[in-house]
Amino acid sequence: MSQTTQAALSPYRVIDLTAEIGGLSTKLLAGLGADVIRIEPPGGHVTRRRGPMQREDEDSSLYWVQMNAGKRSIMLDLDQEQDHERLRALCETADFLFESDAPGAMAARGLGYDDLRERAPQLIYVSITPFGQTGPKSMWATSDLIGHVSGGLSSLVGDPDRAPLRPSVEQAYNITALNAGSAALIALHARHLSGRGQHVDVSMQAAMANTLGNARLYYEMDGIVTERAGGARAFADRATRIIYSCADGYVAFVRIPASMRALHRWMTAEDAHPGFDAEKWAGISIAGNNLPDDDEVAELEFEIEAFFAARGAQSLYESGQHHGVMICPVNTMQDIVDSPQLAARGFFDEIDDPELGRLTVPGAPLKMSATPWQTRPAPTLGQHQDEILTAAASEVRDGD
Amino acid sequence: MASSNVPGAHVFDGVRIADFAWVGVGPNATMQMAFHGAEVIRVESSNRPDTFRNGGPRPPGVNSLDASAYFAKFNRGKRSVAINLAHPRGAEVATRLIATADIVTESFAPGFMQRIGLSYEDVRKIKPDVIMCSMSMEGQTGPHAGFRGFGLTLQATAGVTGVTGWPDRNPVGTGVAYTDWVATHLGIIGILSALDHRRRTGEGQYIDLSQLEASTLVLDAGVIDAANTGRVAQPLGNRDLRHAPQGVYACADDHTGGDRWVAIAITNDDQWHRLALLMDRQDWIESDELCHAAGRLAAQDALDEGVERWTSTQTVSEVEQILQAIGIPAHRASNVRDAHEDPQLAHRNHWWTSDHPVIGTMSYESPAWRLSDTPPPMPRRSPLLGEDSEYVYRELCGYSEEEFKQLIVEGVVE
Repeated sequence: MSQTTQAALSPYRVIDLTAEIGGLSTKLLAGLGADVIRIEPPGGHVTRRRGPMQREDEDSSLYWVQMNAGKRSIMLDLDQEQDHERLRALCETADFLFESDAPGAMAARGLGYDDLRERAPQLIYVSITPFGQTGPKSMWATSDLIGHVSGGLSSLVGDPDRAPLRPSVEQAYNITALNAGSAALIALHARHLSGRGQHVDVSMQAAMANTLGNARLYYEMDGIVTERAGGARAFADRATRIIYSCADGYVAFVRIPASMRALHRWMTAEDAHPGFDAEKWAGISIAGNNLPDDDEVAELEFEIEAFFAARGAQSLYESGQHHGVMICPVNTMQDIVDSPQLAARGFFDEIDDPELGRLTVPGAPLKMSATPWQTRPAPTLGQHQDEILTAAASEVRDGD
Repeated sequence: MASSNVPGAHVFDGVRIADFAWVGVGPNATMQMAFHGAEVIRVESSNRPDTFRNGGPRPPGVNSLDASAYFAKFNRGKRSVAINLAHPRGAEVATRLIATADIVTESFAPGFMQRIGLSYEDVRKIKPDVIMCSMSMEGQTGPHAGFRGFGLTLQATAGVTGVTGWPDRNPVGTGVAYTDWVATHLGIIGILSALDHRRRTGEGQYIDLSQLEASTLVLDAGVIDAANTGRVAQPLGNRDLRHAPQGVYACADDHTGGDRWVAIAITNDDQWHRLALLMDRQDWIESDELCHAAGRLAAQDALDEGVERWTSTQTVSEVEQILQAIGIPAHRASNVRDAHEDPQLAHRNHWWTSDHPVIGTMSYESPAWRLSDTPPPMPRRSPLLGEDSEYVYRELCGYSEEEFKQLIVEGVVE
């Protein structure tokens, strides 16, 4: 089908100076074929020491592999003037720079957007920070948890009788990184028109504030402050249950109208003798007018609970979906590894990591017919030092 | 549409998207391109309206498909054409529209576009260099391709729900259509990469976006860990595996309504020392064990209790100010009112106001990024269902006035 086997972003070079908050954005660009150069300090990037580890020792980070697959690595000491100049020279050969330092920190080293724009006018300079480059909180101390709560999502997550929650994997960092990837490519298309790069200012708080669904809209229109409702979807002042226990774990099921007749047929087919009125429930939405009273809902949920409790999560998934019911298993990471769907689509790839040997890694997060995703190993520290710096030096000389 | 003098209005000048996608993911993705001048045409039908057109909030008592602020949030800057794809002539109209488009997006259950003669193979015959992006739950192929769901349930399949909860209780998930916010960006990134490739090579392509596969990206190293070591990440409440104390702690009532909570994360030894001094805890200051993350992780229960005893005597504002003044990561667990009123988001002009003839004046989210040289103009309000039908049928699809009227009579335009 394809006229070329080039990956989509193969003409482009990315300078990657991000810490934990941005690593996913540049990993994505690497998978799409960009030449992503991870700049590491002496001793290696901080995430090389971040768990989970493949072995007992501190030098076998799977996090590093996950976030840096397909990148190249050079070591620069940005506390040294000499390396500042090396980085500036490298920027002349690059299309993007991603950084996640505190506002002003790069400029203090002479490496800010304004320092580079004359020398590297083509450079798209992406800054990823907790709150943005300016403003009353721009210098606030932060972490993934702070980013998460600052956008408001945690107020919608968790059991009502305990504290608001975040997911235990770092969503604020990752959602922000995805936003940075989108923004960078919009800036790339802008460059096609103007010939110039620009400064892209990405805020973790803003990224998380965009995950609130319609809850903030309910506040603005109706003055309702939606609160967390446990394993349920809160709709303004009402909630609809999502999480149910089953024989070996949990499943997610929402009593949306489209599922109710199918649920009845499914339970009937399995001799579970459903007592609920499928026609009635198929006409009751989960938000808006015409809502049932709490007793009716409790009665329905009691029936569903008993049916799910006698069956396993994966079997409920397969049989429920075949009956047209929107039910999903609450998968563990192992369930994802074992997924027949992911296996059938060839989602997992194998790489030979230079330090950890053969690894199974998640592959393409999207399948592009003409420009396929590339899964490549993560680099060792400074692996590409000579080839990159020598080439950059000569390229800059040629440019003069 | 690209009449604005704002440079950001022209980034996607001349790019037309025939947008057959609906609900959250596809519309959110194409809206970001509409902000920058792409002509995004939502293909809609009153017989099978976008779920969000029936969603809330909406002005009290208004029962129209045009009254949902939730729909408006994802469709600003776009046009809407009514095409009944279930009608035999619906696909004919869609075909004419696609012939004028650069990008086709859709999020139907796999197989639907094939059934109406609009698979990628069909579409590229109409427009050879088209970029088509399908955004389904689990991809176009495989044993679960036909499985149904939406963001509230897909996040469970994708592993997010299972790591969101307290260790001693059921997992709860995020309570919002979480995977929508992930898959949206894979859609944008895929489409914009493909568009860039087309600019250079003239070649279009097909993007098969599985929201499940896209969403595994945000599991950090969870999947790679399970695949190579067999370890399975567990929900930790608000704790972290590498540092402590970290949590969301109760604060004193500040009379703004509801319970009030503050998040605090001690991410290094210096921050710990400053916290212990601030709280005047001699036992913590003098403890050799607590000087290091390992010791604090071992003592988390006691530390959380001590921190919460301190926070519970103060308001969230006081805790934020006191801790941030000495460089300790702290922020209120913002609720939706806090987010709406947040001074930092206000500084960024994050909430963009839009006037709508049915919904009225509301503010909606803007992108999480700011572009220095090509900021987008304020987008046009979201379209009424079928508002641009005449434009699309007559000017883009080339139907005469008579033919257009006939298509209305036949029930194609609805």
